[in-house]
Amino acid sequence: MNQSKSHLAAFLSVIFCILFSISCKKNQDQTTTPPQSITEEADGSYPYKLLSTYAFFEGKISQLSPAGSLTYYEPASSLFTDYASKSRFIQVPSGKKIQMQKGNLTFPIGTILIKNFFYPKQKEDPNGEKQIIETRLLIFGEKGWEAWPYIWNEEQTEAYLKVVGGQQEITITNPQGKEQVINYIIPNKNQCKTCHNQDEVLSPIGVQVKHLNHDSQGKNQLISWSEKGILEGFASPTDYPALINYEDENQGLELRAMAYLDINCSHCHRAEGPASTSGLFLTYDERDPMKLGINKTPVAAGVGAGSHTFDVVPGKPDESILIHRMNSTAVGVAMPELGRTTIHHEGVELIREWVRSLR
Amino acid sequence: MFFKKKLSWLPILALFIFACGESSDEQLFDSSLLEKRSQEETEKVIEAFMLAEDNSTIEIPEGFFEINTQLILDSKTNVQIKGAGMKKTVLSFRNLKTGGEGVKIVGNNISIEDLTIEDAPGDGIKAQHSDGIVFRQINVTWTHGDKSKNGTYAIYPVQCKNVLIDGCVASHSKDAGIYVGQSENIIVKNSLAFGNVAGIEIENCDNAEVFDNVTRNNAGGILVFNLPGLPKSDGRKTKIYNNQIIENNHENFATPLGEDPNGNTVTMIPPGSGIILLAAKEVEIYGNEILRNKTVGVAIASYQITGFPSEAPNWSPFTSNIYIHDNSYDRSKGFPDLSRELGQLISVYNAHGKAKTQDIVYDGIWDESISEDIGSNPMNICIAEASGDDFHFTRFHLMDGEDNIEAFSDLSTFSNCSYPIATDITSVPN
Repeated sequence: MNQSKSHLAAFLSVIFCILFSISCKKNQDQTTTPPQSITEEADGSYPYKLLSTYAFFEGKISQLSPAGSLTYYEPASSLFTDYASKSRFIQVPSGKKIQMQKGNLTFPIGTILIKNFFYPKQKEDPNGEKQIIETRLLIFGEKGWEAWPYIWNEEQTEAYLKVVGGQQEITITNPQGKEQVINYIIPNKNQCKTCHNQDEVLSPIGVQVKHLNHDSQGKNQLISWSEKGILEGFASPTDYPALINYEDENQGLELRAMAYLDINCSHCHRAEGPASTSGLFLTYDERDPMKLGINKTPVAAGVGAGSHTFDVVPGKPDESILIHRMNSTAVGVAMPELGRTTIHHEGVELIREWVRSLR
Repeated sequence: MFFKKKLSWLPILALFIFACGESSDEQLFDSSLLEKRSQEETEKVIEAFMLAEDNSTIEIPEGFFEINTQLILDSKTNVQIKGAGMKKTVLSFRNLKTGGEGVKIVGNNISIEDLTIEDAPGDGIKAQHSDGIVFRQINVTWTHGDKSKNGTYAIYPVQCKNVLIDGCVASHSKDAGIYVGQSENIIVKNSLAFGNVAGIEIENCDNAEVFDNVTRNNAGGILVFNLPGLPKSDGRKTKIYNNQIIENNHENFATPLGEDPNGNTVTMIPPGSGIILLAAKEVEIYGNEILRNKTVGVAIASYQITGFPSEAPNWSPFTSNIYIHDNSYDRSKGFPDLSRELGQLISVYNAHGKAKTQDIVYDGIWDESISEDIGSNPMNICIAEASGDDFHFTRFHLMDGEDNIEAFSDLSTFSNCSYPIATDITSVPN
C-alpha cells in the first residue's frame, strides 16, 4: 500500500512538472496554430488527442525543433520503414533519471519516447522541409509502456491521435534515384506491440543499451545522457555490448549482417518475441546454426516459404526463405510483417552477401 | 530422401492423375448478401479491440465489416468477443495490406464466438501466449477462389494453455484449418474442417483431445506432428476419438499445382490421407469413422521420411507409443495418390498389391539404439482393429536404402499390446 501511494505521489509530481513546463508554451502554440475544432488542456492525463498539447517542439511544430526537455537519440542501426527518415527524442520527467542496472534500463514513470516519420520534400535537401507522416509515442505509465500513434494533417500544423491507424499514398525518390509510390501504412495502436514485445510486455526497441552505446553528434550517447542528468549507472561504454551501423562498409560482413537482422528482425525473432514460435532467432549474438535458420525447415511459413526448403541455405541466397521473404512485398510473404510495403534493396543485398559467404 | 531416385518416373504418371484431383470452393453461406457496414461502423469495431478493458464484452453487430487493419486484443483478462452469429457477422480482411493475421488475441480467459472471419492474407485468427482461450461457433475461411493465395491457418492458437475449439468451421486454408501448436491442455470438438490441405493439426502439443469432429475433403484429415527446433520441443499425449474422417481426397494446394513440396511439412501430405502421425508421441486413436480416404486411413511415420535434418535438442524423430483401435475403415474410393512421395511409396510398394488403398501404414523406421530388431516392437506401436483378413496393413522397411524397400502385411508384431493414453483436460474451459 505504502509503495503504491508513493508511486502515486511520484506520478502526480511528475505530472505537475510536465504541466508547468507545458502550460506556458501551450499559449504560444495556440496563437500560431489553433487546433482545428479540438481544444484540450495539457492536464497530464495521457494520451492527448493532439500532438501539440505535449509541447514537444518549439516554434513551428513541423520543424520538429525539440524543446529543452527533449533529448535527441539514434540507434546505431535503423529499422527499415519504407525509406522514411526518422527523428527520435526521449523526454524524461524533470528531476528524474533513467537507471541502468546490469545492462538494463529502468525508466521513471512519465518517460516519453517520440519518433517522427517523415520524408524530405526535396530529395536534394534531405535536411530541408519535411513531409511528416506520423509521430509515434511510447509513454511509460503506471501500467508500463503504452503506444500511441499520431497522424499529421496535410497542412503539417497538427497531428491527431488515431488508435485505428491509417494509410497514405506517398511519392518518394528512392536511393536508386527512382520515383516510387508508397502506400504508407500507419499501424494501429495494438499493432505496435507486434514488434515492441518482450514476453508480451510492450517495450522499446531502439532504446536499449546495445543500440544506443555508440557515438552520436561526436560523443557516446549514453555518456551524453549521463552528463545531461537523465541517466544514472552507466560507467564505461566498453562494459556493454554495442551494435554497429549496418550501413558502415568499413565493418565486417558478418557484423553488418547481424546488426541488420537484429534491428530489423529480432524484435520478433528471439526467444522472448512473438515469432519464437518459428524457432528462428535473429539476435546479433545468436550462434546456434539451427536457430539462425541454417538448414532449418519452416514451421508456419505457409506461402512465405515460396519454393524453398530451408530458411537459410549456406552459399545459396536464392534458395533461402530468409531472402525470399525480405525480397517480397506480398502480404503473407513479406517480412517484417509490419512497417514495410516496399523492398529494402540495400538490406536484401547485404543479407544476400552474408548468406553467400556462409559455408 | 528415402526413395527419391527410384521413383523419379512417377511424376509423369502423376500428371495424368492430377487431372482428376479434387478441389472445393464450398462456402457455408454467401456473405456478400449481408449488409455492408460503413467505415465509421467498422472503425468502432477496431477501436473496441484497441481500447478493450478487462472483464468486458466486445459485441460486434450483424453485417459485413471490411477491415483494413489487424484486429488485435492485447493482454486482456476475461474478455468475450461476440458476434451476432456465424452467418450474420462477417469480418473480412480482403483489403488487409500488412500484418500476419486478421485477428490476434493475447490474454487470459478470452473467448471469441458467433462470427465469421474471411480472407485474411496470413492466418485467420491467431491466439498466442494465452491461458484460457475459447473459440466457439466461429467460421474462418477464404472466399476468393484462387486457393494458392489463401492464408496459412484458419484457427491458430499457439503457445497457449487451456484451449477450447468448439463448434467451429475452418475451410480452404493452405495449411491446416484448425492448427494448435506448441500448446497444452486442448479440446477440439464438434467442429468441421473441409477444403483445407490439413483439416485439424496438433503440433508440438501436450495433452490434447480431438473428438466429435468432421474432417472431410481435405488433403489430410487429422495430423499429429512434432517438428524439430521449436521452443516447445516435443509434444505428447493426444487422443483422437469419435471423429468422422471422410473422403479427405482434396488436392494438396500448399504449393502451386505441379510444383514440388517445399520446406513446409504439410506440402508433403499425400491427398487421400485420413490421419497422419509424424514424430508423434503417445497418441490413442479410437472410435473414428475413417472412410473413403483414397491413399491411407492412418499413416504412422517418423520424421526421417521427410528427408529433412532429423536432429534437434530434446526431440525425437521417431513416432512412439501409439494405440490405434476400434475404428472403422472403408477403402472404396479408388487409387492412392501419386503426387507426393508418401503416396507413391504406398501406391507402389504396399504389401497388398499396386495401387491398393491402405487402412494403416507404418514406415517401420525405428530407433536402433533401443533394439536391433523391429520384431520387438521397439517404438511400441499398438494396433487392435477388428477387421480380420480384409484389413490392409503395411509395414515398410526403408532403412536399407531406396533400392531395398520392402513391405510386410503381418500385423502380429503390433497387435499384442495396448497403450491407453490418460489425458487430463479438466482445466480446459467449457
